[in-house]
Amino acid sequence: MTVAADQPLLQIQDLRTYFETQDGTVKAVDGVSYAIRDGQTVGVVGESGCGKSITALSVMRLIEEPGQIVGGTIKLRGRNLLDVDESEMRDTRGNTISMIFQEPMTSLNPVFTCGDQIAEAVSLHEAVDRRAAMDRAVEMLGLVGIPDPARRAKQYPHELSGGMRQRVMIAMALSTNPELLIADEPTTALDVTIQAQILELMKGLRERNRMAIMLITHDLGVIAEMADHVVVMYAGKVVEQADVMTVFAQPHHPYSRGLLASIPRLGVRHQRLEVIEGVVPNPLNLPAGCLFKRRCRYAMPVCDSPPPLQEVAPGHLSRCWLTPAGEPPTIGPDATGDVAAAAAAQLAVQP
Amino acid sequence: MESTQFGSRPTAGAVGGQAAVDEVDLTPVRTYWQLARQRFLQHSLAVFGLIVMAILVTAAIVIPLLTGDLYQKTSLSLANHGSSLLNPFAPLGYDSIGENIFIRLMKALQTSLFVGFSAVGIIVVVGITAGAIAGYVGGALDNLLMRFVDLVLSLPSFFIIVMMVALFGTGNAYVVIIAIGIVGWTTAARLVRAEFLSLRETDFVQAARALGASDARIVVRHMLPAALAPVVVAATLGIADSVVVEATLSFLGFGISPPAASLGNMLTNAQEYFFRQPILILYPGVTLVLVVLAASFMGDGLRDALDPRQRVKS
Repeated sequence: MTVAADQPLLQIQDLRTYFETQDGTVKAVDGVSYAIRDGQTVGVVGESGCGKSITALSVMRLIEEPGQIVGGTIKLRGRNLLDVDESEMRDTRGNTISMIFQEPMTSLNPVFTCGDQIAEAVSLHEAVDRRAAMDRAVEMLGLVGIPDPARRAKQYPHELSGGMRQRVMIAMALSTNPELLIADEPTTALDVTIQAQILELMKGLRERNRMAIMLITHDLGVIAEMADHVVVMYAGKVVEQADVMTVFAQPHHPYSRGLLASIPRLGVRHQRLEVIEGVVPNPLNLPAGCLFKRRCRYAMPVCDSPPPLQEVAPGHLSRCWLTPAGEPPTIGPDATGDVAAAAAAQLAVQP
Repeated sequence: MESTQFGSRPTAGAVGGQAAVDEVDLTPVRTYWQLARQRFLQHSLAVFGLIVMAILVTAAIVIPLLTGDLYQKTSLSLANHGSSLLNPFAPLGYDSIGENIFIRLMKALQTSLFVGFSAVGIIVVVGITAGAIAGYVGGALDNLLMRFVDLVLSLPSFFIIVMMVALFGTGNAYVVIIAIGIVGWTTAARLVRAEFLSLRETDFVQAARALGASDARIVVRHMLPAALAPVVVAATLGIADSVVVEATLSFLGFGISPPAASLGNMLTNAQEYFFRQPILILYPGVTLVLVVLAASFMGDGLRDALDPRQRVKS
């Protein structure tokens, strides 16, 4: 599946973003690696606090105190963003990589008109005069399906509905033709019909601009609708990674399976929906070994050793001791210590 | 309700009859300032304040301009000439050394308003700069600046003003302005800092950063306009304060001294003749009260008008 010669648009390698708190270090993102290719939509799923947004903010280098990127590389077209200086990073933000946020209600500045804000985004990265920037703003508003864009451009955010505001946010993010759009829960704050419209819009714009999307969500429905490739995160680590068909058809990691089992399905008669028992471990007090073991129905003694991220099928990675067929590992379910570590090293792959 | 479905954009100009026009589109677009103006105009006291202030400012500019040096021209033959509405040139009469009271009053008003507005100018510029830096940068710098603000606030401000004026030149309007500015900027700084602290955490500031805006641009373009409303209100109210402080200084003989005219030194003058001609104290006194009331009412009106959460009454 991977062609050695072609370089991904974005390559995150062993990213570690930690937060120093009074109670200790929170490893919000701990050794995350994944890649996004040109035009590809990568869905990042996981529950609240699993590190998916922090990964995105790390890519933008917008992590604020007390957070800090302590390790890894983030390569945009082969150039490590963690090495470039702040002014070059500013050029990258909003230009090569744009981001849209979860809360369209508060992500627009209440004291400027929508048109002004989009024009501002344009003029930050292109030497255009105010008129031209404003014309572009109106054009973008039309492009994101806002009726009567010239008039809407003169309106203030509070005069628009949530769906409209998210369209304005998208217009702003896309006004500079970014190569990568990071969408952090773009539809979470919207009601279901508007969600569908916004997703349709993003799909249309993705085709038109041929841009890649990092789509962060906890909604598997959105993933199924949009993504080519899926990254499942849990407690700051990638636990499973594959193309979208594989994740939905043959999930390997017990966490992914649990997530999928907890979605109601049309036409299937359930007495009760499946739940994943327990809660996410306290980030200040992570268990040794597999982070999911306390909630996992397959937990074995070997799970006290950190499981390897192993390739269970071509292009399908899973951070679990279970064999590709879902059996206990060949070293045995009770193996611990050095035996497990050696086995993990042997199984582990670098994505 | 969402007004349209994706992909069904109405044709430009909505040709084909009014029936197709979106109902939302019928509401006129009103900008923030249009709305603010509307709210301000609904505030009758504020409108009163604005009118009074407009009249006072106009008079304070025009009349001294027309009369030149006449405000300090003495004439013993005219001394203590009483007021006479029949004399349009000296409707308020002449004082003990024969100065035309009306012309002098207008010059005094000019001085007082000049001091008031200029001092507020200093307060606003220094206050916004300090507050914005403290609120945006945060951390140790914020701590340092705010402790300095506490220090300035803990000093008896009037004493400081008197001391500065005494040290750097009694009777000089610029020294008075700077002295008032130096002790007065702290409130504005605190207001701006408080606004910035909350604005810094807002999603739209984060969004601006994600668009690649620089710190300076975020502060000036994105945060300052949103933080301005309380400063505008404080500044308007500050005009009243500054005018009173100047009058007090001049009354005590530290501020602007004769032959230059100020409301304060006119009051001092009138005080001497309090039992013989009590009306003399009324002219500068009423003028001072009018300035202070007008500024306060305007400030109150602006506070309501600039709050976007307040609805316009129809």
